[in-house]
Amino acid sequence: MKVVAVTACPTGIAHTYMAAARLEKVGKTLGFEIKVETQGAMGIENKLTEHDISQAEIAIFAVDIAVEERERFNGVKVIQVPLQEALKDPHSIFAKIQR
Amino acid sequence: MTQRSGTSLEFDFVCTLSDGLHARPASQLAEVAIEFASECLLTNLRTGSVASLKSVLAILALDIRQGDRCVAQIRGTDEQAAHAALLRFVEQVLPTCDVPLAVSHTATASNKLPRTLQTAGVKGCFGTPVSAGIGQGKIVPVSGMALPRELKGRAAADPRSELAQIKRAIAAVRGRIQEKLAHPQSPTETAVLQADLAIASDVSLAQKLAEHVMQGKSAGEAIMAAGEYFINLLRHSESEYIRERALDIEEICLHLLQEIYGVDLKTAAIELREPSVVLAETLAPQQLLGLDRQWLKALVLEHSGATSHVVILARSLGIPTLVGVKNARSVLQPGQEVVVDAMRGFIVPQSSPAVRKFYEREQKTLELRRDLLPAQTTGPAITTDGKTLEVAANASSYEEVALAFEKGADGIGLFRTEMAYLQRQRPPSEEEQFAVYAEVARAAAGRPVIIRTFDLGGDKAAPYLNLTAEGNPFLGYRGVRIYAEHHELLQAQLRAILRASAYGQVRVMAPMISSLDEVLQFKAAISQAKQELLRKGVAFHSDVPVGIMIEVPSSAFILDQLCAEVDFFSLGTNDLNQYFLAADRDNPKTAELSDVLHPGFLRFLKRIVEEIRGAGKWVGMCGEMAAEIRHLPLLIGLGLDEISLPAAGIPAMKRMVSRLSSAECERSLAKILACRDKAEIEELLERAQPPRSAQPLLSPELVLLGSQSKNKEEAMQEIVDAFYIAGRTEDRQRLEEALWSREAVYATGLGYGFAAPHCKSDAVLADSIGVLRLNHAIDWGSVDTKPVNMIILIAMRESQNSRHMKVFSKLARKLMNDEFRGHLLAVENAHEMATFLAQQLEISLH
Repeated sequence: MKVVAVTACPTGIAHTYMAAARLEKVGKTLGFEIKVETQGAMGIENKLTEHDISQAEIAIFAVDIAVEERERFNGVKVIQVPLQEALKDPHSIFAKIQR
Repeated sequence: MTQRSGTSLEFDFVCTLSDGLHARPASQLAEVAIEFASECLLTNLRTGSVASLKSVLAILALDIRQGDRCVAQIRGTDEQAAHAALLRFVEQVLPTCDVPLAVSHTATASNKLPRTLQTAGVKGCFGTPVSAGIGQGKIVPVSGMALPRELKGRAAADPRSELAQIKRAIAAVRGRIQEKLAHPQSPTETAVLQADLAIASDVSLAQKLAEHVMQGKSAGEAIMAAGEYFINLLRHSESEYIRERALDIEEICLHLLQEIYGVDLKTAAIELREPSVVLAETLAPQQLLGLDRQWLKALVLEHSGATSHVVILARSLGIPTLVGVKNARSVLQPGQEVVVDAMRGFIVPQSSPAVRKFYEREQKTLELRRDLLPAQTTGPAITTDGKTLEVAANASSYEEVALAFEKGADGIGLFRTEMAYLQRQRPPSEEEQFAVYAEVARAAAGRPVIIRTFDLGGDKAAPYLNLTAEGNPFLGYRGVRIYAEHHELLQAQLRAILRASAYGQVRVMAPMISSLDEVLQFKAAISQAKQELLRKGVAFHSDVPVGIMIEVPSSAFILDQLCAEVDFFSLGTNDLNQYFLAADRDNPKTAELSDVLHPGFLRFLKRIVEEIRGAGKWVGMCGEMAAEIRHLPLLIGLGLDEISLPAAGIPAMKRMVSRLSSAECERSLAKILACRDKAEIEELLERAQPPRSAQPLLSPELVLLGSQSKNKEEAMQEIVDAFYIAGRTEDRQRLEEALWSREAVYATGLGYGFAAPHCKSDAVLADSIGVLRLNHAIDWGSVDTKPVNMIILIAMRESQNSRHMKVFSKLARKLMNDEFRGHLLAVENAHEMATFLAQQLEISLH
């Protein structure tokens, strides 16, 4: 299953990237095809294209602040969780998707 | 509610005032009662104490708080009328007579203790640090009521004449307050004066005074005893406001003593016998000089601005000093042992174990920092594009001069001479002055020394000058203006300075010049002194350069004329700014207005420097503006030849010069001069600071392994201290707070026993990574609830777009990797840790 995700935290120095790394790793282990965009102090990186989003069955927002360019995700099913969830228990986020 | 009980009329009421029955309403209540002959008593049913309604002091001592039920009892010939009047007052006037008092915040958002002290429940009071350092000692309040020695134990005349003296004094003090009240005042001032008047007229006070005199005390001792009695009563009140009223009583008692003995008790010498923290509303420079420096560990002033003379003096003597400590005298108790932290800006009780631990650690940190930071910078300070800026020192004694040269000063930009004139009955002799100036000139070993002739008057008075008190001393008879009257004094000093010129490169400078005529007279005086020396055949250098202070704005508009007459100029920015902006630098309400970054003031400086340099003359700056390292881009941009500052700041200032480009500073200044407000200027000034790329992201000093910290607060403090030791922050408090405010969003414990606290703050001087590995795991509020023993701290500057974000994001991602974390836990020493991280993050350690 194809999944896209966005991570963003208030300072954008550490947690944005830690969460991205965690989601990528756990997602792959569980057999997902995942691409994670980070919205941190360096701005948007690994940006999700229109194509990425249209291909994905679901978008995960692990964010503590508003997602930039949110309109890209109109019409896509979104699961939004606090960023800390991605660090604490990423498996349960993916479990929700499979349900 | 009214009833007759026994022989008196009674009524009861509940105090509804939010600040309780404090001085202002109490004085109004007493005013009503005092009109009647009947005995009027008030009982606070909560405490059971009783007091006369005719005495403000007695009412205050009842400590009536909001919600307290009270009973008034009236008995006597006019009891009906008295009862009616008091009841009317209590029912109709009292509940609304009081505007709520402005709450005095001792702790505001910016006033915070370090976390380790906060969590230990330590309470502090806060102020602005103006002379850095840490001092410990017992509180000695200086306005405290100490009877001068010469009045102590003075034999009492017969009680009747002592009492008569007291009565006359009371009448005189009351008269003076009433006189002030007759002139229009603000409502608050009026209320305060009325409360003072009520205290001066208080029957309990008069009674107590009479009691003590009848026991055989002198008027002075009776005033002391009665004062102390009431002060003690009030000091134990729950309400801070009432505790503060103790100061009013003190004030009135001091007035009474002054009235009787004619001495100004505030300037009476205070004896210190043990390590002491002197506490005062404000101090005159003479008072400070009168204190025994062996025991003076710190100074706490309720008022006084950062540039007042007493503060400048404290700084030059190296006395840790806090100013603007609100209500210090009512919050801090005499004899209480405290630590004055004039690095962070607070006072805390020494009795707390957390405080002791904190300062033991602090001492180690400071020692480590001293060892690590290069102590001095010799050689000229040259900008990256090859311009030299002389970095000189301000000094007022030989010791300070010696210290300045130890710190690498290029000269003495301002040698103040007035201190030698203070605190004595006769002026210093020519010989005495020559000895000092010659010693200074010799110590300078060829470097220039600018000696400023005495700047007396204003707040710097000496008895032999016969100066009269002035309503506005800063606009008054001071500096060069008193030279005509004290011609001989000036001649003696000029001869001493000229003679010292035989021993080094001495220059002479006049203070407070506002007209060409003053310059011509000053030069004539120098010629006369030279003639005298020639006549006597005493050696001196014939071409001693003559300069003037630019501190009165008028002088800036006749620079063409002045440049034709003098060799050099020095900008005295303290006075220049206060005269230019018409804002008193010592008044807390206007202190903000007297800002050297005012766009108008900066443009003014620019014009002055341009014109002087255009005429080919030399110009320096010796005001406080030159002492602040942040201002350096402006100072270089202005094109000054020299800056002169306290010795301690010289090494850092010289290093900073060598990192700035004068061309860029000029461009920054041009942009700043076009700014419309302070915020814009601050922002541009921040951008004008030199790049901090010199420091690598990580170095072994920032890696601490085997930490003994026992909780999150201690751990955070330990890393921030390491940053301070390594010179990566000068403001630990602000850096810690930035980290804690990030923790407040949610804790940065990422699980697996790791935490990654981080912040964006300009309190860190260079982007940095710090590492702390703990011997015992501590709680960090981690997502997996497990304790933490590995802390990776990321501190990033806010104002500069970081080139290091890529490294930080890489580090964050790697922290999610088991193998990487395993390695961090396994490395054996700091060096290995730094090397491993540098290699993983692809960064350099140099």
